[in-house]
Amino acid sequence: MSEADQSGLGKFIDNIKALRTTLPGSYLRAGKPASDMTKASVMFNNFFLHIQGVRTHIYTLRPGYTLGMGLISLFLLVITVVSGILLTIYYIPSIESAYNSVKDIKYVVFAGNLTRNIHKWAGEGMIIFVILHMARVLYTGSYKKGREFNWVIGIILLAITFMINFTGYLLPWDQLSYWALVIGANIAQSLNELTDIFGLTRYFDIGGLFKELLLGGTVPGEAAIPRVYFFHIMLLPLVMFLFLGAHFWRIRKDGGLTRPDIFELDDETTVLSRPDLLQAETAVFLLTFAVVLIYSIYINAPLKELANPLIPENPARAPWYFLGLQELVSYSAFMGGIGLPALALTGLALIPYLDREPRYVGIWFSNKEGRGVALQSFFVGVIVLTGLLAITVNFGWFRDWWPDVPQLAITMINPGTLWVGFTMAWSLRTIRKTGSTRMGAIALFTMFLLSYVILTYMGTELRGPNWEFYWPHEQWPVY
Amino acid sequence: MYRRFYLILLLISGVVLFAFSILAIVKELNPEWKGYQSEYKKIFIDNAEGPEADVLAKQFDIGHKQIYLKRLKRVDRCMNCHAGVENPFMSEAEVPYRRHSGDYLDKHPVAEFGCTVCHDGQGRATNMKEAHGIEFDTHWDRPVLPFTYIESSCAGCHDAEMLKNNGAIKFAAGEKLFREKGCRGCHKLAGEGGVLGKNLDGIGSRPKHYFSLRYVEGDKTAYAWLREHFVDPAKIVPDSGMKVVLNDEEADLLTVYMLTMKSGEIPKEYRRIMNYPERPVTGEALYRMYCIACHTSGEQTIYDEIFGRTIPAIMNPSFLKSINDRLLTEMIKEGRNGTQMTAWKNDAAGLGDDEIQRIVAYITRNRPEAGPEPFGFTKFSADVRAGRELYKVRCAFCHGETGRGGKGFLGIDLANPVIQGADPEFLAVTVRDGRPGTTMVPFGEKGLKLEAREITDVVAYVRTLSMKE
Repeated sequence: MSEADQSGLGKFIDNIKALRTTLPGSYLRAGKPASDMTKASVMFNNFFLHIQGVRTHIYTLRPGYTLGMGLISLFLLVITVVSGILLTIYYIPSIESAYNSVKDIKYVVFAGNLTRNIHKWAGEGMIIFVILHMARVLYTGSYKKGREFNWVIGIILLAITFMINFTGYLLPWDQLSYWALVIGANIAQSLNELTDIFGLTRYFDIGGLFKELLLGGTVPGEAAIPRVYFFHIMLLPLVMFLFLGAHFWRIRKDGGLTRPDIFELDDETTVLSRPDLLQAETAVFLLTFAVVLIYSIYINAPLKELANPLIPENPARAPWYFLGLQELVSYSAFMGGIGLPALALTGLALIPYLDREPRYVGIWFSNKEGRGVALQSFFVGVIVLTGLLAITVNFGWFRDWWPDVPQLAITMINPGTLWVGFTMAWSLRTIRKTGSTRMGAIALFTMFLLSYVILTYMGTELRGPNWEFYWPHEQWPVY
Repeated sequence: MYRRFYLILLLISGVVLFAFSILAIVKELNPEWKGYQSEYKKIFIDNAEGPEADVLAKQFDIGHKQIYLKRLKRVDRCMNCHAGVENPFMSEAEVPYRRHSGDYLDKHPVAEFGCTVCHDGQGRATNMKEAHGIEFDTHWDRPVLPFTYIESSCAGCHDAEMLKNNGAIKFAAGEKLFREKGCRGCHKLAGEGGVLGKNLDGIGSRPKHYFSLRYVEGDKTAYAWLREHFVDPAKIVPDSGMKVVLNDEEADLLTVYMLTMKSGEIPKEYRRIMNYPERPVTGEALYRMYCIACHTSGEQTIYDEIFGRTIPAIMNPSFLKSINDRLLTEMIKEGRNGTQMTAWKNDAAGLGDDEIQRIVAYITRNRPEAGPEPFGFTKFSADVRAGRELYKVRCAFCHGETGRGGKGFLGIDLANPVIQGADPEFLAVTVRDGRPGTTMVPFGEKGLKLEAREITDVVAYVRTLSMKE
């Protein structure tokens, strides 16, 4: 029956019947995937999938190579965004209603408590997995050969991950939020320590400026909540997605994930991305989601008493992922809050430029020597850092020994700066001894990683009221 | 490559995800209160009498319930479990299905007042533990009030005069205790009272973490802190200087009264204050309110361990004999610098001049008619040096080498401005006659046999004490 013979209504009904094939066909653009060609076109015809190649190298799919860290970070982000959108429906960013609206989400919104838990744990999980992803990239030498700037973008994304987590921590306006905000504001203000030393605060109070930028005033209150909310759901996500797009696009332009040079790129060593890669990605997504869901069913996100400026939490704490920094802040506000983190991020960002050896890309720890360096750095670092902290805890620091010591001396020489100085010296020594800048990079990063973990543990578990030292489970005194 | 691995991972994760999603939904569809509501419906159907009640019982809708009180800025969801509070057929049922006791709800319908305005607790919560908010990990500032203290809530809207005759006996008794135990000697309330203790304004609406709860044995709450610290202050606050100790029953009553000290959070439309409490007028009432905690009956000197000094016997006849009203008024008004005695004048502890006059009149009511035999201080010319030697031998044991008394010394601080500013005649009489009822013995002919000239020397020396360090 030719088209002309058909009545108009008949054509309409046939089109309805054909929806089953025409709709997916138009979505996939090349119809149902049957041949290799159409299977490939699924990838390159799709806006979201074309960021990946049509064929994927089998080395990329080795579970032991990437451990799926980057992918897990991305999926955690997706989970966080979706659950976050659900939360914005009920959350009210005002000082009178913020706390009550979170309570309502917790108690009466359908699955509201679960959604909040998922949002919280997936968001904090991002910190862990972004750092692990960074470790994977470093230890496999994947920041080389044209990927230098993508590593820098990764550092920016890490910083944004921290910021977006921190701003979210402030929104429920409970005691945790309030006192974390107070600490955040003090850290923002800590540039004062530097300008005070040089007597410049009177002319240019840059610390105060930063503090007001965060708080929208001089004290945490009414203006801070909408502002922090704007950072959390608008500004930071926008910047994050921009950099994330660039991050992925660059991987694609650089030919996918890194692999050792011995692997050729041909039909033998590659497989079609659809279905192999998509299947692997789906598996990782389901795994990530399942773990987040189970964790969120059984562990509630904390929600303490309503914010009360009259009752300080003692110790007033930043969220756990900043407690390492807070430990450094307890030595020197400027160095711990701004100086050292800036130095660490800059140092990390410069790694690909200071280590340009093209060998061993795509191999964990490069070679046997690399494993040795990592292990040695780990043990030396643990001993030195623990020793440094033990000295500080038991004997105090300059201010306890010479009460009149100028603040500049403490700002410049404190356990934090000494440790950073030591890590630099140690990696330079490694470079000299091994004759390889790559080994220096491994040494430096190992020390960075272990100090983040140790300092975070110190701040989380071993510090009590007035930031004094307590063993875990030791009874705190009451003030 | 690795296809099987990912396929298995995908399948397992998918199954786990599906299973736990179902679990989450089931949990979400079966909140704790649903069990209570179906049990309530069953009991209601059993108890309902008459066709209308039967229909009501059968139509009871199991579902989430709440009351939004705009003026009170509250949302109460208590009736999710306490579904029968207004149901006359539930008088005999068990808590939480039971009807509210008494006829309180006739005048305070739940729809208008909610629950937490009287009972405290977390109205927004929908499970028992967090709604009651007593346990530490519920992180709630205002846990549900035990019935012992519930009368404190009445005072949020009603005045003491009305409550006294309408069942709030504990509240009235607590108010009386507060007046008569001298709490205001150390604690300021609405601008009146001493400064040694904490200000009591708004103490009843303080969140529980305002108090340090470590040594509290009962629930870690504000009311338990208050109660236990009335019974044994030093147990709850290790360095507490609080003198008044109450028995268990009194402690409960005073706790009720303390919990009424709320910073005005109940909107005006809800308040029914008709009578304002009268200020105490008699000197005795004022003495009880402000002085009794430290000076007790005023007849004996007391060495106070915590203050580390002696509290003088201000109603002792010999004291009264040697001090005139003007000096006494001055002492009360200005306090005694360097001691725990507060300045009570209007712009310090908030007492009016007439009130201080009444207190003075009360203290001096038993002053002996005859004044002391005059000493005639001016007849002698004093020798300060000889006085110093004598002081070292005779006085330093109790008043200390420096004359400042204080910790471990029985005598009072002689360098304080009141002694220093006192009439030397008054000091000489005191040295000569001593102070019965205190540890100050007579040093004159009747006692330790100092000659009048020697007494003059000592007094002259004592009057130089403030010049020293």
